[in-house]
Amino acid sequence: MSETDEAAFPASRCVECSALYGHSVYACRECSSESIEPSPIDGVGTVYARTTVRVPGADHQGAEPFEVAVVDVGDEETVRVTARITGNPKLEPGDPVVFLERREGTFYFEAV
Amino acid sequence: MRSVSIAGTGTTAFGELDAGVKELGIKAVSRALRSCDVRRDDVDALYLGNFVAGALEGQEAIAPLVADSVGLTGIPATKTEGACASSGIAFREAYQSIRTGVHDVVVATGVESMTNAGTAEFTRALGSAADQGTEGETGLTFPGFYGLLLDRYMHEYGATREQVAAVSVKNRRNGVSNPRARFRSEVTVEDVVESRRVADPLRLYDCCPAADGGAAVVLAASGIAEELTDAPIQVLGSGHTTGRSAAYRYDDLTTLEATTTAAESAYSQAGIGPEDVDVVELHDCFSAAEIGDSEDLGFFEKGEGAKAVAEGRTAVDGELPINPSGGLLAKGHPVGATGIGQIYEICKQLRGDHENQVEGAEIGLAHNLGGSGAVSTVTVLGGPSDV
Repeated sequence: MSETDEAAFPASRCVECSALYGHSVYACRECSSESIEPSPIDGVGTVYARTTVRVPGADHQGAEPFEVAVVDVGDEETVRVTARITGNPKLEPGDPVVFLERREGTFYFEAV
Repeated sequence: MRSVSIAGTGTTAFGELDAGVKELGIKAVSRALRSCDVRRDDVDALYLGNFVAGALEGQEAIAPLVADSVGLTGIPATKTEGACASSGIAFREAYQSIRTGVHDVVVATGVESMTNAGTAEFTRALGSAADQGTEGETGLTFPGFYGLLLDRYMHEYGATREQVAAVSVKNRRNGVSNPRARFRSEVTVEDVVESRRVADPLRLYDCCPAADGGAAVVLAASGIAEELTDAPIQVLGSGHTTGRSAAYRYDDLTTLEATTTAAESAYSQAGIGPEDVDVVELHDCFSAAEIGDSEDLGFFEKGEGAKAVAEGRTAVDGELPINPSGGLLAKGHPVGATGIGQIYEICKQLRGDHENQVEGAEIGLAHNLGGSGAVSTVTVLGGPSDV
């Protein structure tokens, strides 16, 4: 882990083949093993793509506008996840973000 | 394997019809049956594509409901669902059942009723095609998925917002003369780039409208099809594949692999390449989608699609007309009906009687896409002159 104060990202790993996952999986996509264990990685990330959702579905009414981004997270090993970015920063692909928390199944990052 | 042709076609207009899926399905199938010399007892099976009737209308078991209502009894009637590709899949399954010799004559249809629901309700219903356990939780919508795609595309290829808006301008212009289209008025580039923001960088006029509609075809083994119609449309190739089920699953979000693999499959079966296609109806659920699709289908090099549309190369009188019907952006997107609606438009082109006729069109392609690029069907059709 890095020396900065961002939270570790709660990745998971296949016990049998070591494949690394960001979003949790029920079985390993590579070897079909169901033995998956927590494997926290560094919480630093890079924006791959981002959007601002301004017309949400019924389940997210009132939260708009909110930022959703595809983020590559990790240091030596990275995983790609879809996450919310807190606040409404003007981010572009390549911008750095850090992991904050996982709440109700959603990963939250913030701009650096 | 047997060759297969389309003997009959039928459709409703797409738009605000104040009609449920039962009515739309009955009308589309009845029109297809009456368009050719098929008798009810010739029909061996029915496949029906639908996506959100359960969520929005509380109506399921639609395939047997429609089959019974149009007098097709005692045959298998099966619903197919693959989000916005639901009726592309219905067509594909009908085609496969004839090709492999299981059936001789099959009806394929697609139906959807959406406009009686509010925007938030149908946005949630359509969002059910996202992976609810991961991406759905973030609140990412389908415009949001294509907002992500366009954000990355503009970053990688330097496309401008104005170039992307040219898709909406072209398709809305094409829709003016199509009586089946929901939108019959033009928009300008300025209208598009100044319209309300929906999912950055996408704005309102980058997004297709919801619609109600139904479309149907009668498929028959070649040899039988000629007894049912004077102008059978040949199914030269059909591909149906699976891609990535969420944005984070892509290594390259600007290429939807379901489309590239379905296209490879359809081209290979037809024995043609993208350069042989004369007219295209592709899945322009958003302006950005048409640009990506036009590259994924092999018509333009990666990163060239935005420039091509802005230069007019895909207009009705361009080198490769794309969405002369107006596409989803003008016709509207009755999600479960769209795939066969596209095939209806291509059949009309290949018979030479389309409102935006592409001169000399002999080979047409229809491309249907569902979910986050999760599923795609590509159909290559040949005109009656090729028989």
